[in-house]
Amino acid sequence: MSTFTLGVSGWGVLAPMGTGADDFGAGLRSGREPAVDAGEVTAAPMPQERVFGLPGFTARDHLGRKGTSFLDRRTALALIAGAQALDDSELVVDDDNRERVGVVLGTSAGSLQSTSDYTRETFEADKPYLVNPILFPNTVLNCAAGQVAIRYGLRGPNTTVAGGATAMLSALRWAYVMMRRGRAEALLVGAVEELTPHQAWTSAALGTADGVPAGEGCAMFMIENAAAMRAAGRRPRAEIRAVELAHTTEGTDTADALAAVIRRVLDTAGPELTVDTVITCDAAGEAPALDRAVGRAAERIAVTPVAGDAPAAAGALQLAVLLAGASGHSRTALITACTPDGAVGAAVVTV
Amino acid sequence: MVLVAASKPSLEPPSRGARATIPTVTEEQPHPAAPGKEDSLVMTRRVVITGLGPVASTGIGVEAFAGALRAGTSGISQVRSFDTTGFRTHRAGEVHDFDASDHLHRLDPAGWGRSSQFAAAAARLAFTDAGADRAVTDPARLGVCMGTTSGESQVMEELTARWLAGGYPATPTGLARQVPAGRVAEAAALELGAAGPAVTVSTACSASNYALGYAFDAIGAGDVDFMVVGGADSVCRFAHAGFYRLGALAEDHCAPFDRDRTGVLTAEGGVGLYLESLDSARARDARIYCEVLGYGLTCDAQHPTAPDAASVARCMRLAHDDAGIKAEEVDFICAHGTATPANDAAEYTAVRDVFGTAPPPMSSIKSMLGHTMGAASGFSAVAGALAIHSGFLSPTINHHVTDPGMPGLDVVPNRARPAQPRVVQVNGFAFGGNNAISILGAAR
Repeated sequence: MSTFTLGVSGWGVLAPMGTGADDFGAGLRSGREPAVDAGEVTAAPMPQERVFGLPGFTARDHLGRKGTSFLDRRTALALIAGAQALDDSELVVDDDNRERVGVVLGTSAGSLQSTSDYTRETFEADKPYLVNPILFPNTVLNCAAGQVAIRYGLRGPNTTVAGGATAMLSALRWAYVMMRRGRAEALLVGAVEELTPHQAWTSAALGTADGVPAGEGCAMFMIENAAAMRAAGRRPRAEIRAVELAHTTEGTDTADALAAVIRRVLDTAGPELTVDTVITCDAAGEAPALDRAVGRAAERIAVTPVAGDAPAAAGALQLAVLLAGASGHSRTALITACTPDGAVGAAVVTV
Repeated sequence: MVLVAASKPSLEPPSRGARATIPTVTEEQPHPAAPGKEDSLVMTRRVVITGLGPVASTGIGVEAFAGALRAGTSGISQVRSFDTTGFRTHRAGEVHDFDASDHLHRLDPAGWGRSSQFAAAAARLAFTDAGADRAVTDPARLGVCMGTTSGESQVMEELTARWLAGGYPATPTGLARQVPAGRVAEAAALELGAAGPAVTVSTACSASNYALGYAFDAIGAGDVDFMVVGGADSVCRFAHAGFYRLGALAEDHCAPFDRDRTGVLTAEGGVGLYLESLDSARARDARIYCEVLGYGLTCDAQHPTAPDAASVARCMRLAHDDAGIKAEEVDFICAHGTATPANDAAEYTAVRDVFGTAPPPMSSIKSMLGHTMGAASGFSAVAGALAIHSGFLSPTINHHVTDPGMPGLDVVPNRARPAQPRVVQVNGFAFGGNNAISILGAAR
């Protein structure tokens, strides 16, 4: 039985399926086709004609002119989804609590474009050191989380976790560990992936996604102590009843490790809960793990048709899909994810 | 969640106004190490460091690394990993003699980037140093948390070079596989056969302290029994250029807190620390380097690169409160100490604010190693653990004249100093205003 759980008090999303919770939910219900022509996202050549991108996206359109010209794409996505989540939550961040409100953001490799373009400058400039100092922070993985803190004045623990498909679950687990110990009152938790030629071609070279087009997006969730929310007369939009992480070892495969972590997360969440919906990251090991640990009664929803091949963002969109009510009747959902190298994670979420 | 409770676990979720809040500086909090206390809601186990695994320019393995710290050896040399033609500075802290296969038992280094190799080798060294082979009977109780600033930066540079030569379609699958930064912790987990959580925390240059703190909370609450934490990063061309353009790069040597300091040198390496509960360490009669007493995290939320002294001071106070100590109990500070004018001034200002006019000795191992980025605060934690266990304060080398704007500051200039600190503060600051400070203490 859980003695401490996380509540979602607000959320925001940017994805090809929709911008903002309402639009995203409407997109899911309409069965809208989220893929767009690659040319609407970038003028550069892309490995696929259709991508799960945000056509014509600019930071300025969403955030205004001030302070946006140097933002890379993933940072802009995190800022916009973060603003939505802050706006959606009843939690008011002000000088009384801003030192106790922080950020946990999941990523795959930061911005491949920022890092690669900066490297390119060192090769192509007249002198290799004639790079733009203002763009240097964009090369670092934690740039987006830092910018979210700056823009919204969040001075509590600020963390970036790297984990691709499992980054969102790692971020939730991190938030759980921090908040259980009282290190923060609220945390803006999410994950982001940007679609650039760099990302799309790197992803295509892996050839693991069965031709699934590269994607992008971000979802952010305001996470608070669920019991404290209820004590204050506030109803969480969803409750993270348990989140667990693990890794495969020599002699076990992803399905083994995932089945074990699913059993553990169900045990932790409590036997009174019956999973009616599973939201998967659409990896090969998930089906056998679910067959073993959950059975086939629960409906399975893969996030790929919503997210495309966008590992970290897809993890955040798994939770967004649930919150948007895509499965209609779901009361208790299981979210599963794994990386190609064998990191696995699972969460039980009630709505 | 299942709590392994040495004392009464709280069945009530924490609520605001109860113990859910981090105590303010004026609140009294009993020492977490005090046995039998029942105030904290989940922190029921004391956590100790029993293994160290440095992979540094100055030495690989704890014996070599400690010897170099004592001797004040510099690990700075001419850059070999990339062509510095056209750059104005040519020096960095590279680990020239690192061959991952010398250290790895399970992981094939061929499929992994340099930072992941550093992390895996450091984890193995820490695990071996702890004598943990026989202690970990259930791999699910062993977790990994590794910090990094840029992940596989050399892989991304190599990819960029391929793209410049042959366009995006020339992306080699083998390189693409190595891009995800999450592999830094995964490499260590696979090397050790750790079936617990494997988390990569990428909070730039304070990331190892974040990892240390995460393990402190996770082991303390009984989520896992053992964790290997630390960090890894690789020297790369774009960071060399970027730090130069920020005005943060020294030409020859790194002289933290010196009047004539000019900045840092980029560096690399991996560091691992093996953590377990005090009970576990005592039960197997392990050598205990030190106890982890607590930590603090703050975010400046002001500027992407410029440090904020007030936020750093707040972080120190949070760390002291979490550790249940008062500032005057700190005997030694392992500084962030990058030797940039801005960092050192902010760090000193914060120290003065928290410690008053007579702060404890504060030295920076960046004077020897350069800036090892995601591994930096992990190396500092190793220096802190060795200070407590082996009785010496690591020096700030390259020191001539302490900045006259820093009265009362003792940087342990140039030579290691015999001393027996009981409590050591380890500072870590980062881009993004990500401050993390851990507190180590002699295990009693």
